[in-house]
Amino acid sequence: MFKKFFTVNCFVILLAVLFIFTIRSAAMAAGLFGPLQTVSKETGGLNTAIGYFYHEDTYKNDVDHTVRLDEIYSQAAYGVKNIWEVYTRVGLANMKIFDIFSSMDASIMTDQDNFEANWEFFGTIGAKAFYPINSILGIGAFIQGTYYFSDFTDTVSGTKGGTPFITELKVKDFWDVNFGIGVQAALPYGIKFYAGPYIYYSGANVSMHSYISVPEYYLDDDTIRNKSIVGGFTGLDIPLTKGFRLNIEGQFADRVSAGIAVSYIY
Amino acid sequence: MKIFLSLIFLCFFTVGCAHNPVPSSGAFPVKKSITQPVLLASASEQNPTLSAADAVNPVDEEYKEDEVFDNYTENAVAEEKVDIADPLEPVNRAMHQFNDKLYFWALKPVAQGYKFMIPEPARISVKNFFSNLAFPARFLSCLLQADINGAATEAGRFTINTIWGIGGLLDPSSGKELNLQTQDTDLGQTLGVWGVGQGFYIVWPVFGPSSPRDSVTIAGDYFLYPVSYISPWYAGVGVRIFEEINATSLRIGDYEALKEAAIDPYVAFRDAYAQYRFKKIKARKAKLNPSAPTEEKSASNNPALPKKEE
Repeated sequence: MFKKFFTVNCFVILLAVLFIFTIRSAAMAAGLFGPLQTVSKETGGLNTAIGYFYHEDTYKNDVDHTVRLDEIYSQAAYGVKNIWEVYTRVGLANMKIFDIFSSMDASIMTDQDNFEANWEFFGTIGAKAFYPINSILGIGAFIQGTYYFSDFTDTVSGTKGGTPFITELKVKDFWDVNFGIGVQAALPYGIKFYAGPYIYYSGANVSMHSYISVPEYYLDDDTIRNKSIVGGFTGLDIPLTKGFRLNIEGQFADRVSAGIAVSYIY
Repeated sequence: MKIFLSLIFLCFFTVGCAHNPVPSSGAFPVKKSITQPVLLASASEQNPTLSAADAVNPVDEEYKEDEVFDNYTENAVAEEKVDIADPLEPVNRAMHQFNDKLYFWALKPVAQGYKFMIPEPARISVKNFFSNLAFPARFLSCLLQADINGAATEAGRFTINTIWGIGGLLDPSSGKELNLQTQDTDLGQTLGVWGVGQGFYIVWPVFGPSSPRDSVTIAGDYFLYPVSYISPWYAGVGVRIFEEINATSLRIGDYEALKEAAIDPYVAFRDAYAQYRFKKIKARKAKLNPSAPTEEKSASNNPALPKKEE
């Protein structure tokens, strides 16, 4: 793959390698994990939520690249007996990859350094189970997977040695899966505190179209993976009034991510 | 047989319908008449004799122009009779027949098939979704009636149901905790609250019973209903038809029952419509001005109606 790249254009390769390294480094966990114990009524019922998640991660190598995702989503969940819950989410996410288009080659000039893609749809499904040890403590586990239905795309233009070029980067079939375990404690006023470790795995196809002057070069897709990267999460679930609950959560991998959600229990 | 049917309907209306009695913004006539417990009583009494006390109405002056209603208390239940002028009766009867055939030949069979395929919770969710979409008309009507509380309730309902009700498919606002109920109002009611009389009876093809005043609702619903702006136009029409099929599937049998119970279905639906709208506006006025007298009486000055015997 890379040999083929070199035969096309060296600066495109440079961008691609930077990009791929960046993506490979990124933790692509999508959204909050939520409290380990379902918030639905014990007899069984729905709960719905809206949430916002700010996600950031960094690859540390010769060059650091930070990836940032902003996600807003709507969630519907069904839980029973305070033990298990299944849920699904639909949302929108944007992506920003810092300094992906900047080049160390002085002959390459680009009009922007960052990859920025606008809001694209994603869907998430997940399940969680909880085992109460006593009235205060309990342990739980969850699994959550996300697929981004739309491609993240951005275009960079510039010159190499005075020759203009336009290159489009596209992140396609982006997905991730997360699995975590944790401990949950019941605090006064109905507040739930939870924390634990998680592992995640993500992948995507990256394609580049390079438009150099008038001729158009199409490069093959490359597959990127993100394996067994461990993180930690902790959060609070706070009861509000009239059936609403507030969920605040932080996730820690290479960088800190955080989110907030407000749920309603039917 | 009539007594038997009357007893059944008295029980039915006393207990209430299985579904939400609030009519949707759909097009067909049956929805606006099936929920009124006083329809059958009025259906068999077309020209009630008015008492002398009916000549004074301290509340609804506008109804002197075009409506006659008679308050009486029998069997400990007060029933009111409201009539509406019907100068277009031959045309209206033809339109009524058209709508009736449209219902029995097209809408009902399709709704029955739809009902067979789609479980009730899903159909109720669809109904909730379209009801949520109709928020702008209700919100504007509340504002135009200076019902700030109602407008705020509608805005709250729309926000909560859209966000936590998955785009309006669910209705958490109506739950015990939030208790934000739909403001059952429209632009026709707004005009009624302002004092505009309903005029004469019109049966629109497809849209069903109406009046010049209430026809404003049809126009208003068109402009304030987001589905109307779906492009191309036939896609919007398709959505409206789907909405109507879904709504009909939730009340199959109601129209038939009312029709079978009436001696003259046309007259029954006409009187039912007049009474339905009168009660809606009366309820809105009572809400907006709780100190106003709740008992209303009116004499008919409508030249289209028979003169009462002195």
